[in-house]
Amino acid sequence: MNSEQEDLHEVALKGHLSGKIRGSQAFSYVDIDLEPGESLTTETDAMSSMDADVDLTAAFNGGFFSGLARKFFGGESLFISRFTNNTDQSRRVTFVQPNPGEIRCKTLNDETLYLQPGAYLASSDGVKLGLSWAGFISFISREGLFRLKVSGTGDVFYGAYGALLEKEVDGEYIVDTSHLVAYEPGVSLKLQLAGGLFSSFFGGEGLVTRVEGQGKIVVQSRSISGLAGWLNPKF
Amino acid sequence: MNIELLHRPGNTAAKVTLQPGETCTAESGAMIAMSGHMEITTTTHKKKSGSLLKAVKRVFSGESIFLNHFEPTDKPGEVFFGTDLAGDMIDLTLDNENLIVQSGSFLACEDSIDIGFGWQGFKTLFSGERVFWLNLKGSGKVVLSSFGAIYPVEVDGEYIVDGGHIVAFNETLDFSISKAGKSWIHSFLGGEGLVCKFKGKGTVWCQSHNPGSFGPLLTPNLRARKA
Repeated sequence: MNSEQEDLHEVALKGHLSGKIRGSQAFSYVDIDLEPGESLTTETDAMSSMDADVDLTAAFNGGFFSGLARKFFGGESLFISRFTNNTDQSRRVTFVQPNPGEIRCKTLNDETLYLQPGAYLASSDGVKLGLSWAGFISFISREGLFRLKVSGTGDVFYGAYGALLEKEVDGEYIVDTSHLVAYEPGVSLKLQLAGGLFSSFFGGEGLVTRVEGQGKIVVQSRSISGLAGWLNPKF
Repeated sequence: MNIELLHRPGNTAAKVTLQPGETCTAESGAMIAMSGHMEITTTTHKKKSGSLLKAVKRVFSGESIFLNHFEPTDKPGEVFFGTDLAGDMIDLTLDNENLIVQSGSFLACEDSIDIGFGWQGFKTLFSGERVFWLNLKGSGKVVLSSFGAIYPVEVDGEYIVDGGHIVAFNETLDFSISKAGKSWIHSFLGGEGLVCKFKGKGTVWCQSHNPGSFGPLLTPNLRARKA
């Protein structure tokens, strides 16, 4: 039996974990080769396939109460999965996000990154997950009342629906609501109308998020609520 | 029969070129465009041998009751196939062997392949996969489709695939329903629940994404239909 399957558009990881992000921007999935003793933490049900002798343990997402908080306010699950390679050879774990779209890896070096609800996918040891108050402005702009704070030293994987666009912000920048995925701590969120009162509500943009400060922001090219809004009138 | 896969992996279409006398069998509804001189025959089984029993079995496996057979009349012709969900396709060449295919992933095959019914036992009820599978038997080319990218895993020993991610596997592999890791409790709390464990030597083709995970993400945003 032969297959002409070749790997399309793969990105080798350069951080702490070894592996590749495969499947192009449309359908990214991540192959991680865990070295003996290495561990990987993912959100629940992210694993799609793995070597049978990799150990899986479920743990509360950073303790019971903060796990609960993250579930109800952070849009993440109560439990997280921890995959550990207790064998003496390299073992593979493949994981993916539930929606089609791009996955990226960010290697933190004693840094902090804020992720929007649902964007977190996986991380290596050394990355700490926390929840922090994002404010009512974030809530009104449909970005969630809380945001996930990932900090420490290690790799963090996050994903979105559609492709991911990166933008270095210096000053202010405008992002449509529900399109923001991640931003660095130097950036803060403000809410405003896209244009004047007329163009904001008739031009289809409505409220937008204004980001201010200095740092990198990551924006998704599509949004699930946009897809649902398009589908709804059709049924 | 020549198969060309275009625009992989996001929006794949299969371009099949047929010589006179060659026939390609496809899942009904898969054709998106074709040459004008292509002749279509619709049967419940292989061309010229309709079997109602096999068709009924195919319905159980989530496929449609009818299969379409494409044959160019006097000169070579081409036909394009596509799927409802965005994703990747693969083409495989079977050499007198059996391939178990997750129903729904089958797209098209050469006429020489027999499309049967692959009963994998009641265990599949619990795996998040369908109970009935297709069994492709014989020699020839096969095109399979998926939601997301397709990656092959060469199994030698044991390998775990989460339910809903299987596209196809060699019949040489034995599969059972199991847990991920060592503990049942952790497997459930970790959201993996029951997974499929493959044993033996062979290849299993996985789809990177799972329609069953994307659906629940989308549905809370959809409004209920007004009856």
